[in-house]
Amino acid sequence: MTSFRDTTSVPLLATICNLQELSGDTTLYRLCLETDAGEPFSFTPGQFVQLSVPLGGEAPISLAGPPRHDNSFELCVRRVGHVTDMLHRHLSGNRVGIRGPFGNGFPLSEWSGRNILLLAGGLGIAPLRSLLYTLLMRRKEFGEITLMYGAREPAAILFKEDLAELSSRRDMHLFVTVDFAAEEYPGGLTCNTGMLPTLLKGVNFTTADTVAAVCGPPALYRCVIEELHALGIPSERIFLSLERRMKCGTGLCCHCAVGDLFCCTDGPVFRHSDLKEIRGSL
Amino acid sequence: MIRDFILHESLSDLLKTLSGFGEVHGPVLSDDGVMTFGPIRAAENLQLNYSRTLLPPKKYLLPPRETVLSFAPDKGYLPPDSAIPMIVLFGLHPCDLQGIAYLDTVFLGDRDDPLYRARRNALTLIGLSCEPDDYCFCGDFSSAGMHGFDLFMRRSEEGFLLTDGTPKGKAILDSLTPHLAESDSGPAARRECNIAETIRQASIRGETFEESPLWDDFAERCLSCGACSLCCPTCYCFDLREYGALDGETAIRLREWDNCLFRTHGEVAGGFNFRKSRQERFHYRYQHKYLGFGPTRGMVSCVGCGRCRQVCPVRIDLLELFKKGSDDKLS
Repeated sequence: MTSFRDTTSVPLLATICNLQELSGDTTLYRLCLETDAGEPFSFTPGQFVQLSVPLGGEAPISLAGPPRHDNSFELCVRRVGHVTDMLHRHLSGNRVGIRGPFGNGFPLSEWSGRNILLLAGGLGIAPLRSLLYTLLMRRKEFGEITLMYGAREPAAILFKEDLAELSSRRDMHLFVTVDFAAEEYPGGLTCNTGMLPTLLKGVNFTTADTVAAVCGPPALYRCVIEELHALGIPSERIFLSLERRMKCGTGLCCHCAVGDLFCCTDGPVFRHSDLKEIRGSL
Repeated sequence: MIRDFILHESLSDLLKTLSGFGEVHGPVLSDDGVMTFGPIRAAENLQLNYSRTLLPPKKYLLPPRETVLSFAPDKGYLPPDSAIPMIVLFGLHPCDLQGIAYLDTVFLGDRDDPLYRARRNALTLIGLSCEPDDYCFCGDFSSAGMHGFDLFMRRSEEGFLLTDGTPKGKAILDSLTPHLAESDSGPAARRECNIAETIRQASIRGETFEESPLWDDFAERCLSCGACSLCCPTCYCFDLREYGALDGETAIRLREWDNCLFRTHGEVAGGFNFRKSRQERFHYRYQHKYLGFGPTRGMVSCVGCGRCRQVCPVRIDLLELFKKGSDDKLS
């Protein structure tokens, strides 16, 4: 196995080093790339990889953890289709394939000195977790950091251990909300009931010179943008990570176009001001 | 006087010379009566008066199904190492040459595709002038000189005037010398076509015909059969699919033609679809064809071959958008 292979078209093998079930259908995988030199797998939060499950095929998955100093990285995968269903039958020690990383990622250098609001809905927490931990590792460069995370129900809250730890940090704010709470909420965290936009309305935080990073299902974008504008955050400072079914990752297969932009090469992180005129983008 | 003319009776000499550069393929009638690019067994099988083939020559560069990777547990994923046969494509009309030139910009641009490059390098392109019919509208695309042909044949009464476009074309001409005659034909007549210019102008101003009632009309009739995109010389959307072998351990991954008119094209995991309606899918197709995505932004990829207008079972014709939007009439 050489490390000089073209990783944009030929998947490199990676071993599942660790896996942790986060909810009934979602698991966090730590993958270790099999490279000769074991050089670190570097990427920018917001980028994605093409995950190959041998005999199953490929699916685009966001990087869910911060870049590390070794050849490993984390993916948070929900069992929702053919490829991810096969992945969920894999065990620690099994091998998968990885192409990438692809896409632009969040423009961190541009955010220097600014307050940062992260809004995650459901599985949208995955790329924002990568972003959040990267921001926290470079804490001094940024202003206030706030994470608002909404899940369908208490059982669907992902990364509960991380959240419990984050809630005790003094250098960031954390708000968690669930759409419905029929059951008793598992202890350790304060949690609101209601949708993210409602949460946004009710919370006081600094909005001057704030950038927002949003990731969630399409419905989230439609209702949250208005609230962000009302808080005084303009479209130019709202960054959305879009979901599309990227097949190639290199801007060739033409499945992921948003207007005349490709989600895989021009995105998946877009400024709202670049999307608002594009029909069908959100 | 230069010797650059081949008489009709010397055609088999030309084909024989060309076979030194690869297997010669050209327009032939298939057994089931379909005009198609296929191997030319003998000069008399050649359909030099053809209007258009059903499938464009893109099948030589992007086969409908092509192995891009193979997987084995001990080897991981590996690209194929099969040899690509040398092929001479004979009798390509200017629109099809233009189609290949467009695919070249996509697959040999800043995201060079090694499989495409291998197939493209193995092709020799021999162009042939054509006579327009009721379906095509290529306009001045047809004046030879701007496309990536190796050799172009302009037909006249007695035979063909040959022009070389590349060093390979020059080499072919050189080896043909004994069979060539002198010519005295003048420059090709320029062909005017208003609709080609109308399309170009609409593309430059980023026209989307947002308000046009035609979108609803198209969507109502469309069968989502995808024929328009299948037979388009510049449609190249592809899917990547993995097929496990019966041994349960190895697999091949294929690149297969996909189709933006299909419902699954805009679908993501979990079933959400970004282009659920046929109307949205038409807009997507229009955007790609006439305005371009990513690096092809601003490029019109319609070459005016007329295939989509001819094959659509419900007579949908995107040209109607342009006709409504301007005073120009279809020529």
